[in-house]
This record gives sequence, structure tokens and C-alpha cells, in this order.
Amino acid sequence: MIRSEHLNKVYRMGKIEVPALRDVSLEIEEGEFLAIVGSSGSGKSTLLNMLGCLDKPTSGAVFIDGVNTASLNENELAEIRREKIGFIFQQFNLIHSLNALENVSLPMFFAGVSSEERMKRAAELLAKVGLRERMHHKPSELSGGQQQRVAIARALSNNPLIIIGDEPTGNVDSETGNAIMGILEGLNSEGRTVSW
Amino acid sequence: MKDIFLLAYRDIKERKARTGLTLLGIAVGIAAVIALMSVGYGFQQSVTGELVEMADLIMVLPGKASLGSEYVELGSFNERDLKDIERIDGVKETATGASSMEEVEYRGEKTVVSIVGIEPRDVGVVFGDMVKTEEGRFLRDNDHKACLIGHSIAKDYFDEEIGVNDRLKIGGSKFRVVGILEKQGGFKSELDSEIRVTRRDAKSILGNDGISWIFVRVRNIGEAEEIADEIEERIDENHKLDDFTSAMTMGSVIDQLKTIFTLLQAVLIAIASISLIVASIGIMNTMLMSVMERTHEVGIMKAIGAKNRNVLSLFLLESGIVSVVGGVLGCVLGVLGANVISIGIGAAFGEGIPAIVRPEVLLGGIVVAVLVGVLSGLYPARKASRMSPVEAVRYE
Repeated sequence: MIRSEHLNKVYRMGKIEVPALRDVSLEIEEGEFLAIVGSSGSGKSTLLNMLGCLDKPTSGAVFIDGVNTASLNENELAEIRREKIGFIFQQFNLIHSLNALENVSLPMFFAGVSSEERMKRAAELLAKVGLRERMHHKPSELSGGQQQRVAIARALSNNPLIIIGDEPTGNVDSETGNAIMGILEGLNSEGRTVSW
Repeated sequence: MKDIFLLAYRDIKERKARTGLTLLGIAVGIAAVIALMSVGYGFQQSVTGELVEMADLIMVLPGKASLGSEYVELGSFNERDLKDIERIDGVKETATGASSMEEVEYRGEKTVVSIVGIEPRDVGVVFGDMVKTEEGRFLRDNDHKACLIGHSIAKDYFDEEIGVNDRLKIGGSKFRVVGILEKQGGFKSELDSEIRVTRRDAKSILGNDGISWIFVRVRNIGEAEEIADEIEERIDENHKLDDFTSAMTMGSVIDQLKTIFTLLQAVLIAIASISLIVASIGIMNTMLMSVMERTHEVGIMKAIGAKNRNVLSLFLLESGIVSVVGGVLGCVLGVLGANVISIGIGAAFGEGIPAIVRPEVLLGGIVVAVLVGVLSGLYPARKASRMSPVEAVRYE
């Protein structure tokens, strides 16, 4: 499903080069539930950004569903992010001017799904993460846990095969964190590949 | 498509005050251009419109005359010149006049005024039916020591207003006022400050029977230029001088005026365009700020699968909406402004210039607004669309 070969990522800060990833090769099978553990600053986020096609490696390659992402242009990468990957951020990253329903439907909007179908699916997804009553609330009117659940619903909107979470429970209390992990485990049992 | 409109609209609504001010910037720019063009066009119409009614007229002057440069009188015409002109084929009628500046006295007050000697029946040749008297009557052939005075002479030249049947002393002899002309203004404004007497009386005042100008009406406007050339040739020959005579057709005067007005319009538009340039800088600034503020948002959109094109069209649409609304508002303000200027000029100078708003100017205004909006939105939009998703998401 996801395969990386000799991934290297070097950040350049002025004249100083900071290596963030050094020769990472891994393979994640379909249906796998994978946790990446490491101390702060060890490059977990960097790796997930590469695997989630948000960033390009300095050298090495990432294969998603057999496709070498290094050979893709920006728009093709956007398409992969849209169709195959659902990304959940530590900071939720919802759009503040849009309500929960609109946030969840946004990836479908970019995919060209009709408005009616978008709204229907977004409502279903929000119900699934337990926010049936909060659909029309803006992010500022929701708690951290609720915002993260909106973000999960959004990650699912285009029905991706891969869910990537970058410390998805990092900004919520432990109880909410457990609930979120529960949702992710549930998704995995539906057959999705989850790494976080 | 509807949804992206909604999304753009939502973003605009989030920033009401700033969007409103940007919009106003465009509106003022467009309004300035439209108002100035409309007033300019109205001015052109009010001047050339009068002249068009006199298009069959040729003005013959003894001297170098052209629009925009000072007229230098080189002498005067005589009866032979007039006869020669009347013999030219296609000439319908002629009118002659003699004029000079003379001292005029009214109730002990003296001033110098332009005295015009004209055959009473010739008034119609020169001005058609356009000039009317406010009080009294026109001159008649058998009038003796009678004068017809312009509106300003009657009202403004002397401390006391002059009325019909009052007496003026012109060049030492007394004249009775038989009529006062209506206020003319515009192209005919010189009529306001002239005193007209019969040719016979003019001879006695001026001491000679020289002719200062000849107006010629032609049968066929199409022949006017040809006839004008012939007049110049014949009279120059009579006086054995080159370039002694200037015969100007009203058509050529209208053409010259149009050139001047086109220039004037261009200058006005150039001035008004400055405000448009400022407005477009305003849009660009607003959009750049918006892009900067929303870097994080752009990052999110790209992270969840928005293509560059999606982001580009969202931002372009935003500046497009602002500029279209600004353009329409500008058209409304422009039409209002043109009318206010028109009324203002009317109040200040006593003579109105109509504001003529042409539909193509309005349409042009909106097109320019959209162009300005899209062009100045393009750079910020491209900047937004090319952001790297990971860096943009991290940006707070």
C-alpha cells in the first residue's frame, strides 16, 4: 500500500543543513494499523508528511498504491492526497469561516462531487463520529475533541484507503484521546490502512 | 461553480470593512472616469451641436485665422470682394459686418465696447433663427441711430441696467436702444457683449465703409470646402496679397473642435485613470493581505486535495466579485457625479452643460473594473496557489 525507499530529507536553514530523515525504507501493508513512535524532533512528522504526499523528499522515493510519487507533478500529488489519503493533524486544521458540515464536504468539493451528495455524505460522516447535533457549528464553537472528530470526518470524506494521523490525540485530553483512538481503530477494522 | 462562488462570498463577508473599502476604491476610480467622460462629451455636444446647425456657413475674414491661435486682422474687405463672392457658383447668400471697439457712454459712465455694423436682414444669414430678443425688437433697414445690445451690455457693463428706449452715446452721437438680445453663452457668447447698429450708422461711427467679415451660406454643404478655397483665391487676387483671406467652413471648425475635445477627453481620462491605478493597487494590497492571512487556510485546502487551479480560481473569483460590484457601484456614482458636475457648472456659470452618459462608457467602466480586479488579483492568487502545502499548514 505505502512503500518508501531510502527516504532522505534535509532542511536547509540558511547555510546549515539539518537532516530530518536518513535512509528510511519501510513498507505498510493494506489494512495495517501502524504507530510510529519516537522522541520529539526525531522526524515523525517529517516522515508522515512524505508518506502523505504533503512534502517531497530530498532523495529516495515514496510509492502509494504502486505509484512512485516522485514522478508526479503538483496537481497529480493533490489528486493523490484528495482521493487516497485522509490526513489528520495534531492542530485539527479546520477552516474557521466554514461550519462543520462545510469543512467535511470541502475535499469532496475539490473532487467535483455534487453539492447535494456532498452534504448528504458529510452529514453521515459527522453522525458517524458522533456530531450529528453539531453539524452547523463553526470550529470556534466546538471543543478540541469535537474539532478533531470533524477533522476525522473530513479525512474520510473522499473514502480514502489510507488514514494518516500526525499525533491526532496530541491536543486533546486523554479521555477524548481514547475516544479518537477508538474511532481510528474502528476505521482500521473496516479495512483502512491507518498510520499515526 | 455555484459552490466556489459561495466559498468566495463567505471569505469576502468575513472581511466586510476591508472589502468594502477596496470596493469603494474601485467604484471611485470608475466613477471619476465615467463622470469626466460624460461631462466632457456633454460639453463637446453643447459646443459642436450649435455649430452643426451652422454647417452650411463659411466665415471669411481678412487675416490669419485658425482655431486656437490669435486672429490677426490684416485689413478689410470692400464691396468688390463681396460682389466677387456673390458671383461664385453655389453661394446662397452673404452677410457682411464691420466691427471695431468704440467708446460707449451711458448716464455719464464710459466704457469701450465692440460695435458691430450689420445689415438688419443679414442677421438671419449668420445665426438663422437661433438668436432671439429678450426685450424689444431686431434692427430694421430704415432704423437710424438705433442699436440692438447684447445681454451683458444691458445687465453688467454699466452700474445701471439699460432698458429698451434708453439712450447710449456711441462714438459721440446718441443712439436709441431698440432691443436687447437673450443671453447666449457658449459658442455665441460674444453676442452678449456686442452692440449692433445698421451698416449705415456703422459707417458714420467708424469713419469708413470697410468690411470686417463676410458670412457666406452655401446651397450644398458638400461644396463648402471648395467654395471656401475659391473665395480665398479671388479675394487674395483682388488685394494682390497671398494669404490675406481666411475662409473657414464651419465643418472644418467642427473638425478642429472635435480634435481639441478628443485631446481634452484624453487628458481627463488620464487624470481619472490615476485613481483607477490607485484602486488597482488597493485591490492587489487587499488580496495580498488576504492571501497572507489565509496562508494557513490555503495550506489546509491543498493538504486535503485542492489543486493549484482550485486555489487560483477561488482568489481570482474573490477579487473579481469585488471589482464587478465596485464597477457597477462606480457606474451609478459616475452617472450621479456627472449630473452633479453638470448642475454645478450650470449654477456657477449660469449656463448648463448637459451630462451625456453613453451606454458604451458604462459598459467600458464595468469591463475596466473587471480587468483591473482580475489583473491585480492575479499575482496574489498565483502566490497563494503555489504555496507548498506543508509550509502553508505550519504557518500560523
